[in-house]
Order: sequence, then structure tokens, then C-alpha cells
Amino acid sequence: MNKRAIILSTVIIFGFCAVVFRLVDIMFFNHDWYSARARFQQVKREFIPVKRGIITDRRGRELAVNLDTESIYCDPAEISFPDKIASTLSEKINQRPDIILAKLSAGKRFNWIERKLSAEDTQVVKDLRLRGIGFMPDIKRYYPKGNLASHLIGFVNVDNNGLEGVEQRYDRYLSAKSEKLHVYRDAKGNVLSDGQGLSLNREIKGNNVALTIDEGLQYILEKNLDAAVTRWKAVSGTAIMMDPYTGEILAMANRPTFDVNNPADATPNQRRNRAVTDCYEPGSTFKIIAGAAALEEGVVTPDTKFDCSSGHIEVGGKKIKDAHKHGVLTFKEVIQKSSNVGTIKIGLGLGREKLYEYIKRFGFGEKTGIDLGGEVSGWVRPPSRWSGTSIGAVSIGQEVAVTPLQVLRAYAAVANGGFLVRPYIVSEIRSHEGNVAYKAGIDARRILSEKTVTIFRDILKTVTEEGGTAIGAAVDGNQVAGKTGTAQIIDPKTKTYSKDKFVSSFVGFVPADKPKLVMIVVIHEPKGQTYGGVVAGPVFRTIASESLSYLSVPRDDSGEKGLLMVSKK
Amino acid sequence: MKQQYDRWILFIMLLLILVGLMAVYSSTSVISPDMIEKYRKKGLAISQFGFLKKQLFTVLLGIIAMFIAYRTPLKYLKKAAIPLLVVSFICLVMVFTPFGISGGGARRWIRIWPSAFQPSELVKLSMVVFLSWYISSAGYSRDRFLSFIIPVGIMGVFQVVFLKQPDFGAVMSLGLLTMAMLFLSGIRLRYLFSLGILAIPVIIKLISEPYRWKRVAAFLDPWKDAQGSGFQLIQSFIALGSGGLKGVGLGEGKQKLSFLPEVHTDFIFSLIGEELGLMGALFVVFLFFILFVRGIAIARKTQDTFAYFLAFGISTMIAIQAVINFAVVTGMVPTKGLPLPFISYGGSSLLVSMTAIGLLLNVSRGGGESQAHYKSVDNKLKSPLVVAHSASINRWQRGHGYKRYSKMKRT
Repeated sequence: MNKRAIILSTVIIFGFCAVVFRLVDIMFFNHDWYSARARFQQVKREFIPVKRGIITDRRGRELAVNLDTESIYCDPAEISFPDKIASTLSEKINQRPDIILAKLSAGKRFNWIERKLSAEDTQVVKDLRLRGIGFMPDIKRYYPKGNLASHLIGFVNVDNNGLEGVEQRYDRYLSAKSEKLHVYRDAKGNVLSDGQGLSLNREIKGNNVALTIDEGLQYILEKNLDAAVTRWKAVSGTAIMMDPYTGEILAMANRPTFDVNNPADATPNQRRNRAVTDCYEPGSTFKIIAGAAALEEGVVTPDTKFDCSSGHIEVGGKKIKDAHKHGVLTFKEVIQKSSNVGTIKIGLGLGREKLYEYIKRFGFGEKTGIDLGGEVSGWVRPPSRWSGTSIGAVSIGQEVAVTPLQVLRAYAAVANGGFLVRPYIVSEIRSHEGNVAYKAGIDARRILSEKTVTIFRDILKTVTEEGGTAIGAAVDGNQVAGKTGTAQIIDPKTKTYSKDKFVSSFVGFVPADKPKLVMIVVIHEPKGQTYGGVVAGPVFRTIASESLSYLSVPRDDSGEKGLLMVSKK
Repeated sequence: MKQQYDRWILFIMLLLILVGLMAVYSSTSVISPDMIEKYRKKGLAISQFGFLKKQLFTVLLGIIAMFIAYRTPLKYLKKAAIPLLVVSFICLVMVFTPFGISGGGARRWIRIWPSAFQPSELVKLSMVVFLSWYISSAGYSRDRFLSFIIPVGIMGVFQVVFLKQPDFGAVMSLGLLTMAMLFLSGIRLRYLFSLGILAIPVIIKLISEPYRWKRVAAFLDPWKDAQGSGFQLIQSFIALGSGGLKGVGLGEGKQKLSFLPEVHTDFIFSLIGEELGLMGALFVVFLFFILFVRGIAIARKTQDTFAYFLAFGISTMIAIQAVINFAVVTGMVPTKGLPLPFISYGGSSLLVSMTAIGLLLNVSRGGGESQAHYKSVDNKLKSPLVVAHSASINRWQRGHGYKRYSKMKRT
């Protein structure tokens, strides 16, 4: 070979050698570093979406469901012209361009741009085929019934974690553990199959929760509560309906309320479930405690007479008056006409220790144990800390703080034959395959004897009869047993009872002898009228009457007329 | 004396083609949803075997072309040197006519039913054949400036056309190839040096073109614009680097999933590195090296000057293209569109490379020997350029005497 050929060959061979050295450098010595970079861009963490369990009423009607939506995210590292993309996107998804721009230029490699859009909305963005913009299936919680039972159901945050109500209390059942998958992706973000049926379409489902409430009853309750609060221009209102035997809450509502599909717009005042979180002085509805205690302890008989003719009584140096002067009343009439003087005399006969014992026995001053968040125990002072007036005040429902649910439960005991039940809202939880994960049980303890209860039930019936305080609560066809309450509110400024601010309430059960439901209606600060019998009583009546026909409860007199007997046999 | 053709060359070529088919299938069998969408809009079906089938078809065509090249007596090839160059030139110019097809902002292809052909590939081989004939012709003298300037002029004309396409890779490879062959011919070094010095301002002018400068900048520091101009190179590094010693496994590569642009054509070596690892990559480099060494061995054995230059030129042509492709993929020279012979997807390159191997095999079996007694074919050729040239050479020959290279290399 001549010299030139040798030189030329050498140069080319030198080229080959350079390539070899370079390859060894990249592929052997820098293998780990490039492998890391390769994984970084090729592997994607994919979350398998978790579908929360649905929430239904007692008949399986859906109250909380899931919507399949899509969320838009971006990878700022892959975005070349953030300004342009921000302005384009802002038109398509109705978001301010500067907010989008901030997300497009963020430091993280994964940033949400907009969460939970409908498929139609994301398609518009998909059609733009923007680099660095990705889409992910997302699940949105939706409450098809809107405001209905909003305080009970509660709501979730953007990551589907329960924040209030059943959604929060039973979050552990409703939600499920999200799973991450490490999947290969191509440069455009398409996920690759692993060839073994990579189940990205798999869903993780939470357990379905069945509530004790009945959508129909809830609707009746809310409709009438709403009307009453509006009519009386009240500050707030609460109504609860319960099965007296089991403690199942059939309906529960508060006003003001909020749109559960837009919880962010609601104030804390609107979101509060007053039925369990707010205390009030119960007033006359509390008189059954002293009354039932006196009967149970044998201090009085139904016909024991009390002289109420003075119209007032002095206890511990303080004068407590009746609304009207009554004259001499029997024990029955004291309750029927809600005489303060008579009740205080009963209380005095009972003594402070016994009165306090029965207050506790009825479950006041402790949580009812309902499965809802934020319940308070109320407030009852022990006798050792009572003033001279206290025995009188407590007998007629002052100087104690109770929740509407506690009062309801006390009346349920009269309705069901003397048992204090634990109210509950969730009856059953099943996995999506149908396996029972939780089943509520009845929790009841006897607090009154059958005899006392029977007597007291008859007394409470007279309240809605001629001569009682709540004729307006009487339902056509079925007898109502109940009690009114009209309590003054302590003005926080003067620390004395306000002259014009009242809490009007009615609590009772119907049909009186075979109670189907026990219900309380509490209206805070009604304007114009204040008496529980006038304000809350009619609300009770309309709700009860509609509910009874909804439940197809026969009229009390139907048996006598044989209407149902015919069809039975 | 009848010699056997070089079995090593044939074997290595077939091995390279096999590796190429494998790599092409690996890189094109995975079809992204976007591609399916794109094809559907055009009303075309896309199959995982689409590219492989086309490449296989080209291999079959290539075998025919190779066989023809193998059987053609070299004396006919010598006569065809100039017509071949002219045909190449016409083909090249045709890219600017309605027959041309543009793609990626460049006009590099002409339509030959049912496919597209890239004339720049043909030009390289034609140039090798032409130079081999020209250098071996009696009129050529390594000490005459005219003998230098004529091929350089022809090269220049081709390069200008390449630049118009634009195809800077072809400009560079044709330039290197021509210089290598002229260097080999023993031309005075001062000619080459002065051309080199003259070329500097031209190259500077060309590089200062914004898009080319961007490529150079991306080559110098690819990480500066990792998502933009440096993207391809970085993705190539990642492909090679993640392959490691043994590779991620054939077909298991992930960089072909739209990460690495042009993975089945110019950057197919990255895929081989990723999937087959350093061992696979070095194996391919080694095959090209052996091909080059065997090619030179064939050149050395031949007695014929034309055959000598033809064999050396073809070996150099393939080696230069391979080394430049390796260098591009590994970030040693700036990016340009050069395929890896035998392996990259693309009919023109494969067809021309296989034809070139056919010629090499032709030389190896002694195809040039029977013409060894040929002194000169000048007078028989009717090309006015050569006739004018040969007249002056004849005059010069009488004065100075003429040494045959075939004799020289024996000493």
C-alpha cells in the first residue's frame, strides 16, 4: 500500500476508534445517569381513580353519586410558549389567563390547570393538541337532590375527601385507598399497555352507604320547615323526625341551608347542622322531665292538685309567672296547660337531687351518640352548683342547654314505652359487591316504667285537644301527643332574658297510641307570634299529616269502621 | 485466473441488512394513536409491518441491483462513468421539477412509482465511479492543477445543487468523499490545502445560516435548549445511555415512542444501542470496520487501477457515511440528515449501498483483471470534456512519462 492509502485508512480507522470510545463513555460510564433520565421521561405514575361509594336513602334512592369528569394538567417543562397557551386556554375553559400562566410556569412538573370538567369541555382543549397539556379522568361528587338533606349528607373537597356530614363521618367506608401504577408512556403522554391487561380502566370503589332517612319524608319536612321559617321571618329553624322505637332518623333539616353542590359558596352559619351542634333553652318541652320523674317516683298521681291561682311563685327570691292565671290544676292539667307554677311545685316536691338524676337519665348533658360530626353534649349544672332559683328554673326548662335531638329523644322514650334510644343516620354499609360492611343496631335502655309512660302519653294527648296549648298541632285522623315550648332567649348584651326573642318549639309523636314517628320542630326568633303552639305546632301538623299519608298510616278510627279489616282477611 | 468473490463482504452486508430489518421493525411496529389518526385522515391504513414490508421489498430490489453490478464487466462500467454522472445530475435537478417531493422543509426526493428516490445517494456512488475512472485514466496527473480542478468543479456543481435542496449532509459527505479519493490518487497536497483554505469562508458563510447555526449550537451544548434544538441529540444520548452494556432488550426500547425523532432513519443506531446495548452497538461498528478493512484488502489485491480506486472509493464511501452517522448520533459532529448504510430505513440509501457492494464483489472476483492491459480509453470516449483534456494529457505524457499506480503500489 502506498503512503496515501495508509494515511487515509488510518484516518478512517481513527474515526471508528473515536466512535468506540464515545460509545463506551455514553453507554457504559454514564449508563446510570442516562437510565435515570430515561425513567424520568418514560415512566408515568398513573392513579387509578377512586369512586366513592354512593349514599342512598332508606329505600335506595341516590342522594350522592359520582360523575365521570376529566381534569386538565400541565407539565411546564414541555411547554414552550406559556403566554400563548395561557391565552388560548383561558378562552376555552373560562379561566383568567394570568392564573393559567402561573400554573404553566410553575416549578413542579405536574400542575392542575382545571379540575373536573365535562368530557365536552375537555374535548375542546384536546382538539388544540397542545404539547405539555394532559388530561386525566377525575371523579366528581354530585348530589342529585341539591339542597335536600344537605346537612346530613355533607360534602367532599376537590380530592374527594369527606368534609362534613355522613361524607366526613363515614369517609373511611365511602372512600377507598387510591392505587398508583407505574406505567410506560410515550412522548405525547399516551399510556402503554404492559401486555398483561394493564387495568387502567379498573376502578376502585368505596362502600355504599344507606341512610335511615326517607327522601319523601325529608322532602315533606324541608318543604314545610322552609315555609315556616319564611313565614315567621325566623332566624333559623330545625326539624327532626325519628322512628321512636329504633332511633332511625327519618328526616332532619335545618334552615338556613346551602347548596351542597357548591359548598364553597356557603357560610359556616349555613353549613351548621343545628339539630346536633346548637344548644338552646328548651322551655316548656322540658317539663316532662320533672313530670315523668314525679310520677315514676310516686311523688304525685295524675290527679294530684296544685294551686296555681296566684299566677306566680317565688323560688329562691325570684318570681316566676304563668302566662295566664289558671286556678287549681290537677297534675294532668299542669302539663296540658303548661303551667310554670304547677311544674315548679312538682319540681320542689321532687327535690333537686331527684330532678337532676332524671335529667341525666333522659340523656341530657351527654351526647346522643348520633353518627354525625360536631354533636355537642349540651349543658346541665349539677345540683351542687345550683342557686336557690335553679330548682324552679330547671323544672321549666331554663338554666339548661340542650340540643333539639336530645329533646326529641326524651319524647321518643315516652312514645316507645320508656326506652332511651340512640339516634342514628346510617343503617347499612355495603361494599359494591353487596357484602355488608356495617349494620346499625338498636341501642336502647329503659328509663321509665311502662305505667308512667302510659299515663304520660295520655296527658300529652290532651295538649293538642281542646284546652291544651297546641290545638294547632292536631292532625286530622290521628291523635298527636306532644308538648309546646316557648323559651325566652338570653340577650348576650344584657345577660337577661330578652323580651322579644323566643325559641318556639313543638315536640310530639303520632299516632299517639301506636307512634310511627316522633318529631321536633324548633323555630328560632319568629317575628309576630312567639308561642310554640302557634308557631311550631302547625308546622308539626302539616308535616305529620303529609308524612302519615306518605307512609299510608291508617286513621285512628279506620279499624272501628273496618276499612282495613276487610282487606286484611 | 478466475478468482472467487469475497464471501466476507457479502456475509457482513447481509448481517448488517438483517440487523437493519430488525431495527426498522422494532422502531416502526409500534404505532402511536396520533399516527393512526394521521393515516386515517389521509384515508390510509397503517400496519405494524408496513415499513418492514417496504424495506424488505427494497432488499429484494437491492439484491437484483447488486447482482447486476456484480456481473457487469468493469470495462463497461468505465465507459458508463460519465453517463452515470450525467444521469445522477439530471435526477438531482429533477427534485426541483414537479417530479420532486419535498419533506421536512427540503426537496430531496423524486417520485419514482410507487415510491420516492433520493438522488443524492446515487450521486455519491456515481462520483466514486467517475473519480475511479478519471484518476485511472491516462490523462490524469497528480501534479497537474487541471486534473485537480475538474473533479473539484464537478463536485462543486453537485454541492451547489445539494445546498439548494437543502441537504448539508450530502454536501459534507460528497466533499469528504471526493477529497479522500483525490488524496488517495496522490494529488499534490498543496492543491488540497489551498482548497481547504478557500473553503473556510464558504463554510463559515453556510454555518452562519440561522437554522444551521442552531444545529451547531445544539451540538455544542444540547442541554441549553433541551426541549428545542437540543432535543433530538439528548434523546439520542438517553437512548444509548439507558441501553448500558446489554441493552434493554430487542423491541423493549422506549425511546422510539415519539421521544427520539427520526428513529427509524437517521437515528436508528440509537435504537440499536438502547435495545442491544453497548455490545450490540459495538458489534455494528465492528461490522462496518471489517467491511472497510475487507474493502481495502480487495483494492490491494486488484491489479487494475480503476478497480483499485473503485474498491477503495466504495469502501471509503460506506465507511465515511457510517462513521459520520455514528458521530452524529453520539454527538461528536453536528446533526445532519445522513442515513446509516444498510440499516436505516429508506430505499435509496439501501439500494445504492447494495449496488456499491455488488461492484466491490465484482472487483473482488477479479472483474478488473481482464482489462488490466488497457492502457487508455480516452480516445474511445466521445465526451468533449474528456477529449479536450486527454489531448493535453497526451502531450504532457510524452514529455514526463507516466507511472501506473498499479505498478507503483507494488514497489
